[in-house]
Amino acid sequence: MTVGPLTVTDLVVEFVHDGYAIRPLDGLSFQARAGELVVLLGPSGCGKTTLLSCLGGILTPTSGTIRLGDLDVTAMKGGKLDEYRREEIGFVFQAFNLIPSLNARENIAVPLILTGRDRKESFARADALLEQVGLSERGHHRPSKLSGGQQQRVAVARGLGHDPPLLLADEPTANLDHIQAEAIIRLLQGLRDDGRMIVVSTHDARLVPIADRIVHMVPPDQHEERPTRDVTFAAGESIFEQGEPADLIYVVKSGEVDVIRILADGGEEQLNRLGPDQYFGELGPFLGFPRSASVRAHTDVVLTAYSPRVFREKVLHKH
Amino acid sequence: MILLTFRDLVYRKVRFVVVTLLGAVVFALLFVMTGLVNQFNLEPFDTVGVIGADAWVVPEGISGPFTAMSAGPIEAVDLVAAETKAPAVASRSSLVVDDKADEVILIGHEVGGLGSPDTVEGRAAETSGELVADRSADLEIGEEVTLGGTPFTVVGETENTTLLAGIPVVFVTLPDAQELVFRTDQVISAVLVDGEVDSIPPGAKVMTADEVAEDVLEPLDGAIASIDLVRVLLWIVAGIIIGAVVYLSALDRQRDFAVLKAVGASNSSLLGSLAIQAVLVAFFAVALAAVLQIFLASMFPLEVRVPPRAFWQLPTLAVVVALAAGVAGMRKVLRSDPSEAFSGAGA
Repeated sequence: MTVGPLTVTDLVVEFVHDGYAIRPLDGLSFQARAGELVVLLGPSGCGKTTLLSCLGGILTPTSGTIRLGDLDVTAMKGGKLDEYRREEIGFVFQAFNLIPSLNARENIAVPLILTGRDRKESFARADALLEQVGLSERGHHRPSKLSGGQQQRVAVARGLGHDPPLLLADEPTANLDHIQAEAIIRLLQGLRDDGRMIVVSTHDARLVPIADRIVHMVPPDQHEERPTRDVTFAAGESIFEQGEPADLIYVVKSGEVDVIRILADGGEEQLNRLGPDQYFGELGPFLGFPRSASVRAHTDVVLTAYSPRVFREKVLHKH
Repeated sequence: MILLTFRDLVYRKVRFVVVTLLGAVVFALLFVMTGLVNQFNLEPFDTVGVIGADAWVVPEGISGPFTAMSAGPIEAVDLVAAETKAPAVASRSSLVVDDKADEVILIGHEVGGLGSPDTVEGRAAETSGELVADRSADLEIGEEVTLGGTPFTVVGETENTTLLAGIPVVFVTLPDAQELVFRTDQVISAVLVDGEVDSIPPGAKVMTADEVAEDVLEPLDGAIASIDLVRVLLWIVAGIIIGAVVYLSALDRQRDFAVLKAVGASNSSLLGSLAIQAVLVAFFAVALAAVLQIFLASMFPLEVRVPPRAFWQLPTLAVVVALAAGVAGMRKVLRSDPSEAFSGAGA
């Protein structure tokens, strides 16, 4: 179980939803090495799961490359991708996703059998993995008879079934209390120490201290305090574009702005026209989402730009 | 794959038991319908076979001795050139037992001659006033009955001697039959011949035993076609039942399939699991139906004779129907996206 470095370069994933394009990943790049625990940190909806899907060969990115050692994952198709998932990748899903009709032991063994491994060997491997995750005594229990933490440990064991060099875990502690989460974190640490590369998506800060590498899915400085100031734009000038990281919130002092949705086919749909004392661009900074629309000056405008905290205190509370 | 399938069947056992029971009822009805059609088809051949003639010489212009009024002079017997021959009377009549009248088919035969039936109990009619009846008439040997207004005593029983969907055949001596039907001993319905017929009198025709039997089937064409239509409808119902359960199973297991696909399981292995489920439901339903049909058949007023071939044809067809009906569910599996494994929150 050795693996070359993981190199993600300029990764872009674009979806078309209700006629307009959204980019959960827009030019993401990072590197990781074997034996590292990589934490993808960011709020819900920032593209963590999308990135895991791309790394796992489940989703083909719009552009950019993913290389795992000598393998160009983004160039693979069909059977090659199946083989890549079978040989190189272990998955741990947020929702555990254990098969309810199978007991813990079978949940680990059946995927191995279905991917062509010997039945006896598969069960022997399942027994060994259950011991590794501390659940030897619970092997014959169905998921419904296991706690959330135990289910997640079985899910980790399933992910390790074929001894993959790269383990992808999606919010592995999201549904667990702190005691169960601690057990999972300890388990991931142990697996990392065995020389495996682990990529974990999370918004759980408890994982940060044990990370060897943190990939901020939302630029970390976007919520940094900035002084309130007036800015001016000439008619037709762009204030911000759809898909850009959201940082400031604007209040129109004078003039008018157009709020425009950029459609997947390149067309534009005007959503609103705002005038003096009206504000825009507040949801992105508050929720950590990229801009959901573009805003352009309809006339020459003067805007007041606020950081989210100041906007909340001085504008929202005043209203 | 087998383990996955078996465990899922156990996990959703209530649903599968209910569907198997429903399927078994439908398949049992199919067995019974098949048995009815088979009985309708075999019945005239069996009865004509019991009468024993290779050919029947009847007046020209009639469809057959059991479907039209057949009458000719007794002299016709002498004009038929054949090694073994005998006069016979065939007609419908009315059998009264305990004041209850039932329709029967009357056969009059020479004592000990061609047309005299092999009995399964008692003996054939030998003198006037004696009668042999098919078992379905439910008569006891020695019982006194009235046939066409004339008293008779039951002396024997035959089996598999019914016509026109279960009407029992009764056998009496030729003179009794002539008296009952024609009120004269100078008229007969047909000349029965065993072996080759060398010549026949003018105005007569020869019908082979098979032709006589096929002629008796014709009035039942509409009934048989109706039963065949019901059979087709039952197959559709069976297909819908199995297809629905396979589709529901595919819906329920969509996340499971997505997870298994995500870890590299092939479409074929997952399809196999669903297909085996469909086949198992069909198989268990047919097996249960094979037993259930015995009870259902006993409730029918007609004999239900399920042909042995039905016990392998029906399961085979059921498996084909199950697989065809499961296509919608299987398409669901093919379309399940491994990225769905990432969606949703846990327990």
